[in-house]
Amino acid sequence: MTRRTIRFAAVGAALALGLTACGGGGDEGDDGATGGGGTVDPDEEITLTVTWWGNDDRADRYNQAIELFNEEYPNITINPNFSAWPDYWTARATEAAGSALPDVMQMDLAYISQFGSRGQLLDLDPYIGGELDVSGMPESLLAAGQLEAGTVGIPQSTNTLALFYNPAVVTQLGIEPPANDLTWDDYDAWITQAAEAGAGLDPVLYGSGDYTGVFWLFIQHLVQEGNEVFTADGEIAFTEDDMKEWLNRTTDLRADGSLFPTERTVQLAPLGGFTVNEVASEFSWDNFLAGYLADSGAESIEMLPMPLGSSGERGMFQKPSMLLSAGSNTEHPEAAAAFIDFITNDPAVGAIFGTSRGVPATESARSELSAEGTDAQVIAYEESVADDITESVPTLPEGFGSIEATWLRLAEELGYGQITVDEFVEQWFAEAESALA
Amino acid sequence: MTPETLAPAKVAAPRPSHQKRRARAAETRAGYGFLTPWLIGFFLLTVGPMAASLYLSFTDYDLFGAPEFIGLENYQNLFDDPRFRQSVVVTVTYVVIGTPIKLAASLAVAMLLNAKRKGLGFYRSAFYAPSLIAASVSVAIVWKAMFIDDGIVDQVLSLFGIRLGGWVGNPDMTMPMFVLLAVWAFGAPMVIFLAGLKQVPQELYEAAEMDGAGKTRKFINITLPMLSPVIFFNLLMETIGAFQIFGSAFIISGGTGGPAGSTLFYTLYLYIRGFTDFKMGYASAMAWLLVIVVGIITVIFFRTSRSWVHYAGDSK
Repeated sequence: MTRRTIRFAAVGAALALGLTACGGGGDEGDDGATGGGGTVDPDEEITLTVTWWGNDDRADRYNQAIELFNEEYPNITINPNFSAWPDYWTARATEAAGSALPDVMQMDLAYISQFGSRGQLLDLDPYIGGELDVSGMPESLLAAGQLEAGTVGIPQSTNTLALFYNPAVVTQLGIEPPANDLTWDDYDAWITQAAEAGAGLDPVLYGSGDYTGVFWLFIQHLVQEGNEVFTADGEIAFTEDDMKEWLNRTTDLRADGSLFPTERTVQLAPLGGFTVNEVASEFSWDNFLAGYLADSGAESIEMLPMPLGSSGERGMFQKPSMLLSAGSNTEHPEAAAAFIDFITNDPAVGAIFGTSRGVPATESARSELSAEGTDAQVIAYEESVADDITESVPTLPEGFGSIEATWLRLAEELGYGQITVDEFVEQWFAEAESALA
Repeated sequence: MTPETLAPAKVAAPRPSHQKRRARAAETRAGYGFLTPWLIGFFLLTVGPMAASLYLSFTDYDLFGAPEFIGLENYQNLFDDPRFRQSVVVTVTYVVIGTPIKLAASLAVAMLLNAKRKGLGFYRSAFYAPSLIAASVSVAIVWKAMFIDDGIVDQVLSLFGIRLGGWVGNPDMTMPMFVLLAVWAFGAPMVIFLAGLKQVPQELYEAAEMDGAGKTRKFINITLPMLSPVIFFNLLMETIGAFQIFGSAFIISGGTGGPAGSTLFYTLYLYIRGFTDFKMGYASAMAWLLVIVVGIITVIFFRTSRSWVHYAGDSK
């Protein structure tokens, strides 16, 4: 081996390094304006790519829905594709850079303005009333998919936060389940009680994980207390003190080990303490019920409304979710609109998805939902909290996905005791400033 | 060589004939012709993207809109970013601890396999096998499963009374886990060491034995100096490779660099910045800083190598 050959190899290896980061070309899309609002030509052979995030269960449901769609539109071939939440956004961002987004894609409130305000998403307004019927959807819900650029997403469902508990684990703990009219302090006291009861068991059982690590719960708490979350121009409206107060709710619980340990949570991912039946309760969106039941194998899981705020009100809101958007680069905008219409309104499709994406957004999609089982439980829950849903979901700023991810990461570090609440707040604000800029 | 071919050379003295020059030009063309597929790939897939990323590193680019030129801001922001600093610490720790251990392990195995024994071919293949699959997704998943709570590592250690719990969830134990994964894949440097060992002239050992040198002495005074070019090569390659660790870290931490940032390797953070936070300009700046730093380290290695690497062919 000579000096020359080594030098050669080193240059090669170093060059390989340069490949680690390479963005695509700066293609600028064509402002999303397609106009016209034509209809699908039944004789034209059309292929649409359709993509969503989710698990196998959701993929099965989409595939069934696509089969039904093909009975009505035999000339449209659908290429379905799906991935898990984090990878999903990575792939879409890369496609957006090359103006190669799928014809139809599932979209979330956290990302819609990022894609929509740069002309990456098709304005569906020209198709509304034509191929796309949104008459069965409340205006307030439709508004979630409307930006300055027009209607760039059609909400498929609504979600509401709930406190889930597993009666079997509560029984094992030998304590009463959480009450229906809890305050946050009551809930914290219940967690302490559960942890004391579960400490001697094998495996050790807990009442809850650290719920302050869920960004949406902090938002729920702010809304419930009548605080603004984000300003109209997408800036943060709450203060560092609001955040400290929230995170300090569980400081004592963290200190005496009354919360499900972070190191367990990290290792269980993508499952969690609640789905391996070591935690008795967990806050989440109500459409999680089916997934919880499937993952945990529990016989039943109960749902309670949010704890009461200091005014005695719950101040809950519905979050429009699982929007469907079309890429502005699509060659078949009318076919994309027809597909979105079918998934949004068809009663059989509504029955296929049930409440797995949340409570369906349109009357017709709800019309054939099964009257028992999981779907009925979720619907009954939303009906039971109808009077508590007094607020509307805050408008999420561009970059929300990133600040939510930062929150989650810092919560993990807090759980390991590597940072204090004050450091959490300081670091989060520093990152949020650059993410929302 | 026949007299006929020799003759013209004598006549044509210093300058090659016109014909010959033409023939040589044709050969050159053919050479580049054969290189074309590689060259196209090199310019399209390596040089082009590198130039693009160099430009992007001076811009604010979020993948959705057009890049906006901001000068050196990305590079300046790097130094105020606590996560960037953390990723540097994590990566340097990994390089400094992992690389020497891996090299020592691969040299040790190479020396064992250099001995004359039955079934050596089998052992060589067997020991090389892990390297073929170590960079794969499946091994990262298996690794995670081995080091989790009640995983096989936890269970075996518990038999000896060592109770560490799952390494995957413990920020203090993730680094040893990654170093072990790197060391386990010692095949590539081992094969190179083995080739180097084969080239050490046996006479040297025989002469040393005549002089009464023991095993350690032979190793230090003959094996190591004779192997020094190979050691240098492996050190360089493994160091550059270690800076680029990505796949296993991405899989084991689920793309987050967790728990608590303990596996936030440089390239993983670069990826997070670019594809999760959509800060492609920032990520490009990180990539170029890495290229520059690795370049500097390589130059330093070459400079210092003059004092410790012995090339058998050199007349030094």
